[in-house]
Amino acid sequence: MPLKQETMQRKMFVGKAASPGYAIAKTKLIVRQRFTISQLKIPKENTANQIEFFRRGIWQVKKEISNLRDLTLQMAGKEESKIFDSHLMILQDPSLIDSVISLIRNEQWNAGYAFHLYMQNLIDGFEKKDGIFKDRALDLKDIYNRMLLHLNSGENNFVLQEEIKEGVILTGFSIGPNMLMHFDKEKVLGLAIDSGSTTSHVSILARSMQIPAVMGLGNLSESINAGELLILDGTNGIVIINPDENDISKYKKQIEVFQNQKLELSTMRDLEPITMDGKYIRLNANIERYEEASEITSFGATGVGLYRSEFLYFGRDTLPTRSEQAEAYRNVTHQLEPLPVTIRTLDAGGDKMLSSMNMETESNPFMGWRSIRLCLDRKDIFKEQLKALIEAGDRGNLKIMFPMISSVSEIERAKDIYNDCCTELKAEGFHIPKIELGAMIEIPAAVLIIEEIAKRVDFLSIGTNDLIQFTLAVDRSNGKIAYMYEPHHPAVLRSIKLIVDAAHKEGIPVSVCGEMASDPLSTLLLVGLGVDEFSMVSWCIMECKKIIRSINYDEARAISSEAIKFSDANSINDFLRKKYSQKIKRLGISSFIITQDFSSSDRALIRVDGHIERVGV
Amino acid sequence: MISCKLTVQNTLGIHVRPAGYIVNIASIAKSSVELVYSDQRVNAKSILNLMMLVIEPGSEVEFLINGPDEQKVADELTELFNNKFYEDAS
Repeated sequence: MPLKQETMQRKMFVGKAASPGYAIAKTKLIVRQRFTISQLKIPKENTANQIEFFRRGIWQVKKEISNLRDLTLQMAGKEESKIFDSHLMILQDPSLIDSVISLIRNEQWNAGYAFHLYMQNLIDGFEKKDGIFKDRALDLKDIYNRMLLHLNSGENNFVLQEEIKEGVILTGFSIGPNMLMHFDKEKVLGLAIDSGSTTSHVSILARSMQIPAVMGLGNLSESINAGELLILDGTNGIVIINPDENDISKYKKQIEVFQNQKLELSTMRDLEPITMDGKYIRLNANIERYEEASEITSFGATGVGLYRSEFLYFGRDTLPTRSEQAEAYRNVTHQLEPLPVTIRTLDAGGDKMLSSMNMETESNPFMGWRSIRLCLDRKDIFKEQLKALIEAGDRGNLKIMFPMISSVSEIERAKDIYNDCCTELKAEGFHIPKIELGAMIEIPAAVLIIEEIAKRVDFLSIGTNDLIQFTLAVDRSNGKIAYMYEPHHPAVLRSIKLIVDAAHKEGIPVSVCGEMASDPLSTLLLVGLGVDEFSMVSWCIMECKKIIRSINYDEARAISSEAIKFSDANSINDFLRKKYSQKIKRLGISSFIITQDFSSSDRALIRVDGHIERVGV
Repeated sequence: MISCKLTVQNTLGIHVRPAGYIVNIASIAKSSVELVYSDQRVNAKSILNLMMLVIEPGSEVEFLINGPDEQKVADELTELFNNKFYEDAS
């Protein structure tokens, strides 16, 4: 989505940081969705077929958009997802449906052309208007594009104008892995794509090809002209069209740092994540789809610390079967054997609605019927998943993590159900492997009874995103209070300390997953608080390893225990900067100097869009 | 039939989201709901029709509501307009 129009032309967009790195280059607009629309007069007897074809198109696009809404809700929040409700309403619009059907029935146009005629007329109408109404044309175009992908299925939608001669940044509505491979790898300096996410196939491919990429930029390709200069920041998910001098010089420096660092980091991959005085800190990767498992070792991950199983449940009308789930989980556990793989049980509900279940809209979804609460109520769903997990644990090193634990009884009930599943599977003739069970700590109540919880599990994992949100009562997707979302608030840090101490008293490890794990200064702080493991997006791992290998564990312990004595976050940050800034500067960490340099209004936009502002030195 | 005249009080006019709210009310109503604006009369159950009218902030629109729940629909629309489509949080 367009976030800002500063001067005449400079425009900043924020999307999903899908593949790290930077590029400054001219754009090559590959697909602003160019369709060749066939225009056919159809025989009277075939009109019913075409009407049916049109209705099926509507149905499919509605499904796509609901999925997108589910994902946006989860990734960005309710406000951002509302636009998709409007899109759904447009697709159900009686005047649209009736007009297109009448064009097919009475004028005997094929479905694609009938839809094109109706929509083009509408879009032209809006484009003539001013201001906010003109922007509406973009919403309609989005729907138009999606529909025609279905109504024109089988035809080639992409028109490549010419071959690439110099290095460019590819921009467009969408790009498939095949298309990316079509281009000369040396000439593609980056990808800035309207659709997609960090786990799209093309993102995984871009990371393996080391091409920086930002996905999910909304309508970037509508706002850009071929050949315009672009800055692409795949590390932070930022794209600037027509950057000013200041942007360019800032990013030129950044590219230099990044290039040097890349050389250095590639030597880092096979080194152990161990501090100078010998403390081993496990650095795991977060994944959402089993396809990602194959790439994590190339980033030097020591395992998977958080596999978000709910992605198996999203975007479909039926629940995934036990065998389907077992296969997906096995793909990870077997492939990564003997590395540990922690799979989180279904963390859905509330704001992450599943279309396969009839879920009610709640007035306070974050505190609603979600996650482990939903699973304990819907034992049928929970047991299917646990059995699939147990089956997938036949090889490798699987651990199961229960999210949103707020009481001892929840953990006991979850374990009872797990044991029931083991008994039932045994009766079916399965061998039951040894699987560790852990609790995810993200609710302040759990922190206050952490000693009792720690006695009942094999490991603890801190979900910092929710723990911060619940501890501080701050919804960070709310722009007015996003500044209050402060990971280094002493209340948060002291909670983490309580969790670590309780775990270590029971002799079990603690990991941190959540965005806090990939911020360098936070990493130092958390290592010093005694956190044993981190789990983060895979491409942050090598930087983190570099930091860990440069510090002294005992010293970090001393600094952190000093830090959490301060009474507010600002003092803590000042203290940390004083202690660590020299070190971080010396290490030349490329990912986090940059956001500090933006104007405060740019930074606010970046933060509102779900990115954390890095603390900076 | 009820005629209900309302003023658009939000700062952006009837763009996608406000139009969506109107459709939400109109489409579950048992009554027919039509909107009249600058000599055009459209079915208020169609979001595209409403958007095409490009209703600017400050303008007055008229709803023609006809059916068993017409009073209820008129009340809901009045509330929606008076609340500026829940947009301009003060």
